[in-house]
Amino acid sequence: MECNFTERHQVKKSVPYLFLFPALGLILFFNFLPMLQIFYYSFLNYSVFSESSWIGTGNYVRLWSDPNFWWTLGNSFLYMLVTPALMTLALMLALAVRRAAGGGIVFRASLFFPVITPIVIVGIIWRWMFTEDTGILNYLLASMHIPPVHWLTSYPMNAFSVMIVTLWRGAGYYMVIFLAGLAAVPKEIEEASILDGATTFQQTRHILIPMLKPTLLFVFVVSASAAMKMFTEIYVLIPGAPISNKALVSYLYQQAFERFDLGYGSAVSVVLFLMTLSFSYVNIRAMETRT
Amino acid sequence: MRILKRYTLYAFLAAAAVVAVFPFLWLLSTSFKGAEELFAFPPTLIPAHFIFENYSGVWNAVPFSTYTINSVIIAVVSIVLNVLLSSLAGFALARWNFRYRELFFVLVLGAMMIPKEVIIIPLYTTVLKMKMADTLAGVILPFAVEGFAIFMMRQAFLSIPKEIEEAGIIDGASPLRLWWSVMVPMTRPTIATLIIFTFIGTWGDFLWPLVVLKSSEHFTLQVGLSYMTGTFVDNYRYVAAGAVLAVIPVLVVFLLMQKHFERGLFAGSTK
Repeated sequence: MECNFTERHQVKKSVPYLFLFPALGLILFFNFLPMLQIFYYSFLNYSVFSESSWIGTGNYVRLWSDPNFWWTLGNSFLYMLVTPALMTLALMLALAVRRAAGGGIVFRASLFFPVITPIVIVGIIWRWMFTEDTGILNYLLASMHIPPVHWLTSYPMNAFSVMIVTLWRGAGYYMVIFLAGLAAVPKEIEEASILDGATTFQQTRHILIPMLKPTLLFVFVVSASAAMKMFTEIYVLIPGAPISNKALVSYLYQQAFERFDLGYGSAVSVVLFLMTLSFSYVNIRAMETRT
Repeated sequence: MRILKRYTLYAFLAAAAVVAVFPFLWLLSTSFKGAEELFAFPPTLIPAHFIFENYSGVWNAVPFSTYTINSVIIAVVSIVLNVLLSSLAGFALARWNFRYRELFFVLVLGAMMIPKEVIIIPLYTTVLKMKMADTLAGVILPFAVEGFAIFMMRQAFLSIPKEIEEAGIIDGASPLRLWWSVMVPMTRPTIATLIIFTFIGTWGDFLWPLVVLKSSEHFTLQVGLSYMTGTFVDNYRYVAAGAVLAVIPVLVVFLLMQKHFERGLFAGSTK
């Protein structure tokens, strides 16, 4: 869409740049420059306390034989297991909510509370509920004669507990995204299928879901890369767990900000970047085929 | 059959809503319990004795008011910077034709794809060099403008009819005047959405403030709360009261502006 002025309305040549400069300057300095730095740092022996020195691929060689790196990387992939569950639940909620009276505004609001609640607070709430001997969850299980679960103290159960929290917090968010996708389905198509005598299930399966493909893909990419970047939930829920139970960003944080090994932490960052980049790539390819 | 289906639908939604809301009620309940009731068996959802000591307790035991003030400062300054700067940039990108415009726009889109978590180490060294470590400014500045905000403002300006702007030009307004008094008021709904997003984002932000802030008097609520769970492991009631206080502003803002919030999510999903 072009909204240019005619010749006589053109502003002085410098004006657009002046308008852009503050925002763009900050973005270049605080987004793109660090992106370059991270690659450079990853080739350095760089600690906060001493002079840095070039060590070539030293950090990467160290990564390759570092079991904690592989564990945390593997866990980051493990956390992606939540994505299909999250997508299914959110889609079911969206399909249900739009059939409820008045657009299900009350349901929508209550499902959205977890989304806007700061993750630290979410973590505090759930850590309390997950407590093993006195927590409400094990109490509920006991009342159904189910033995207590080691929610946060055994691996990989603690990873699944973190996923439960992700599911609880994310469902409302992706539900709203699906609602937007569903709202874009032309009314005529839906009505025509009802006239043809399609059941709700048939209609959902054969009309709505195929039309939701772009939204499904968007949700997949966003939730999978969010799982890859998980940090705060783990930091608050299982602070005492060994690092090999945690995720890639936890490892990055530990190396850079607890051990002050900035070079090694940067190498981990580069790996994280390549992971998220592949998701962005899938996203862009998908958007291209969509149009 | 129809009615049965209707019941199943509402039963499913009601169950989901209960699961979504129950943890909050449990937190709220805990924050009003006394020590003897905290581990009562069976657990009580509605405390037998309502106690307000936890709230005064958390307020006095840690610099809770300082945390709150810090969080408010960070949220307000971030909102003002994000809205103003992205509006200026979005306006230029939407309304003027100039050299490298497309390149600048691609940079904005590219910035949206750089994950915070990836660049946190060089950002920290930069903030250190700028002598802004352990300051609120160090928390605010690196994320003062978001690519997403510029993108949204650009879309908002694109949708304003050209005639309105031309009327402003004929009146002889300067570009800055035109932007501020003619165009900005027309983007109010987008600005409202941005304000909520920035508020919720900065209020709940954790990793970056955790990295930058070292001394207790500079902590935000989230960083303070996370430290409290370390120091008050045996006093969960205080932590619960603190968490309730810290979540209230978010709930209030959300309930008042739910419409704008969902609009913003829609914009994000159809980009």
